Amino acid sequence: MVGEELISGPFLDADGMKALGAALAITVTGLASAWAEKEIGTAAIGAMAENEGLFGKGLILTVIPETIVIFGLVVALLINSA
Amino acid sequence: MSRPKEMTRAVIVGHKSILKQTIDSLYDTNLFHIEDFVEDESGFKISKPLKNAEEVSKKLVKIRSIANYLGIVHKEPVVQKTDSVLRDLDSKLDELDRAIATKTDAIAQLENELKDLDSQKRELMPYLAINLDFDDYRGYESLKVFAGMVKGNLDGSQISSITKAYELYFDPQSKAIVLFVAKSDADKVYELLQGIGFRELRVPERGGVPSELLRFIEQKEAEVTRKIESLRNEIESLKTKYADFILASDEILSIESQKAELPLRIATSANAFIIEGWTPTENYDKVVSAVNSATNGKAYVSSLEIEEEEEEHVPVEYNNSKVAAPMQQIMDLYSRPKYTELDPSSVILITFPLMYGLILGDIGYALILGAIALAVKKAIKSDAVGDLMNILIYCQISTFIFGIIYGEFLGFSLASLHTEHGSVPGLIPGWETIVLFEGLGGEEFTFPIHRTHMVMTMIAVTVLIGLLQLNLGFLLGFANISKHHGVKHAVLEKGSWLVIELGVLLAAIGYLGGTGLAYVGAVVLVLGIVMLTMGEGIKGPIELPSLMGNALSYARIIAVGLSSIYIASTVNDIAFEMIWADHSKIGFVAIAAILVFILGHALNTVLSIIAPGLHALRLQYVEFFGKFYEGGGRKYNPFGYIRKYTEE
Repeated sequence: MVGEELISGPFLDADGMKALGAALAITVTGLASAWAEKEIGTAAIGAMAENEGLFGKGLILTVIPETIVIFGLVVALLINSA
Repeated sequence: MSRPKEMTRAVIVGHKSILKQTIDSLYDTNLFHIEDFVEDESGFKISKPLKNAEEVSKKLVKIRSIANYLGIVHKEPVVQKTDSVLRDLDSKLDELDRAIATKTDAIAQLENELKDLDSQKRELMPYLAINLDFDDYRGYESLKVFAGMVKGNLDGSQISSITKAYELYFDPQSKAIVLFVAKSDADKVYELLQGIGFRELRVPERGGVPSELLRFIEQKEAEVTRKIESLRNEIESLKTKYADFILASDEILSIESQKAELPLRIATSANAFIIEGWTPTENYDKVVSAVNSATNGKAYVSSLEIEEEEEEHVPVEYNNSKVAAPMQQIMDLYSRPKYTELDPSSVILITFPLMYGLILGDIGYALILGAIALAVKKAIKSDAVGDLMNILIYCQISTFIFGIIYGEFLGFSLASLHTEHGSVPGLIPGWETIVLFEGLGGEEFTFPIHRTHMVMTMIAVTVLIGLLQLNLGFLLGFANISKHHGVKHAVLEKGSWLVIELGVLLAAIGYLGGTGLAYVGAVVLVLGIVMLTMGEGIKGPIELPSLMGNALSYARIIAVGLSSIYIASTVNDIAFEMIWADHSKIGFVAIAAILVFILGHALNTVLSIIAPGLHALRLQYVEFFGKFYEGGGRKYNPFGYIRKYTEE
């Protein structure tokens, strides 16, 4: 109970902490995905410029890091629904 | 579940005198995939193109350059008889060539004229303000004429300090100057002029007053432009007149040129030829009889054994029902299966729309996208587009079904929703949510499923669906390996994963129930890992954690689905708040609200193809295929052509 009172200030009550946690989960994983996809996307477009048949492979490789942000989204949803 | 079509390897041997007939018959059947001959020590060489090759390719180049020049695009075919096209080919081609050549020459000439007129006009412009006849500028013995531009200002007083005998025309706005002085004073005056930045300009050769000349040139320009325009229109009418002919003859000539160049791909000796290639076994007899009837049985056709190491390189032709055939596009996007592999098209036919529907699950979007797909399919008669639209339609059927299960329409909830804060009625009055059983984390499993209110349960359900698909993948891998490397390999490489999963399951049940089953599970798990290590080496255990990653990856089904719902319901909220904000006057705000509603849902509709499509696809390619699929098969590409614009 003491702990709860400590964090139930004007800004960081329990709900606020939850929201912050969820936001962090999305932001950080979103940035991570973006970073990874940027690298892969550039390479994929380079490869496609040489051989258009690589579109399918390029597309798949580019969306692979998307998993990171999806995990982030799942974590955020779990935090919110818990 | 199907395997690629069974292929037969065949060789056709004959005397060179029947080569042409053989090529024609193979071309017409469009069933024989010819293997390019690579010269080796056998003494056979590749041959020269047929005699007509050069002529055909010359004509082909001509017709393609004409088609290119006229900008002829492929269109709804008008089928023509090959004979009649061939008969008129030379004369029509010449006629067309000549017509275009004379017209383009004329256009080029007129364009040059236009350029000439333009430069004349530019020469004239500086003198426009002075408006003195150009004939007055020349033909003097004792007078010097300075005509040009200056930078500074000039008035008579400066010149009169040098000489009284002068005549000056100066336009202070354009700074054009024409000055007549006696030749004897010319040098001094020139110095003065240089002092104010004089630059001499050419005096147009033609005589006349500038303003009149300008009018004349502009008239001429308009006339020339009109002529060019009418020539361009004539060329345009050539295009409509000859489009069918060009498309048909392009097709015929392409066919002839492919036939004529075939000898470059086959083995020949001084008198004989050998054509080697592949045909689906079901069509082998057709190929044999076609060749025999074309050559009066003089060509010798026989089938060859396929050795095991060759099997990897056999060209692959899909063997799917008409319903599953569109899925081949999705396969080709990834990689065609090998000849030795199972072709998962028919599995994807179920799993891809299933995942898509699970993600999107909305009656409204299913209807919109389904209608769009049907319309596009009807409007564009292309095989590739048709296949893609068919895939989209399959996906929408699944989306519709899941839309009913989720009770969603454009982000609205169709059924009532019970929460701790009370019950919210749905869009359809009287459709009450039914609680089926207790879900995870205090959530209730209901029908229809309110995804936004049972996230935990849905994550668990989607991961479970993922595990089912992954195991299907292991089973397919098992079938693949056991056919080619025996059951033992299959059990070690793929079966071990099932054992591992069983072990984890037993251990988990045992752990939760606090029974001895946990130890049994652990033993089974270790056994599985040992089997996997035997099957795949050290690589196997390293890949173990990826199984969990793969399964969790299916949680994207609910995650991406929720993002779509949130976008839709945000659009709905904004639109409805705008409408209900002010009841008294329904005018501008209501229209804006409708616009927001339409645009918002249009955006979400586009996203509804991309996001669920891409993620459903990724689940197939990365998670599912990773468990059994190799790919990399060669495309079966029979020698021949499907005629569009001509017929025999």
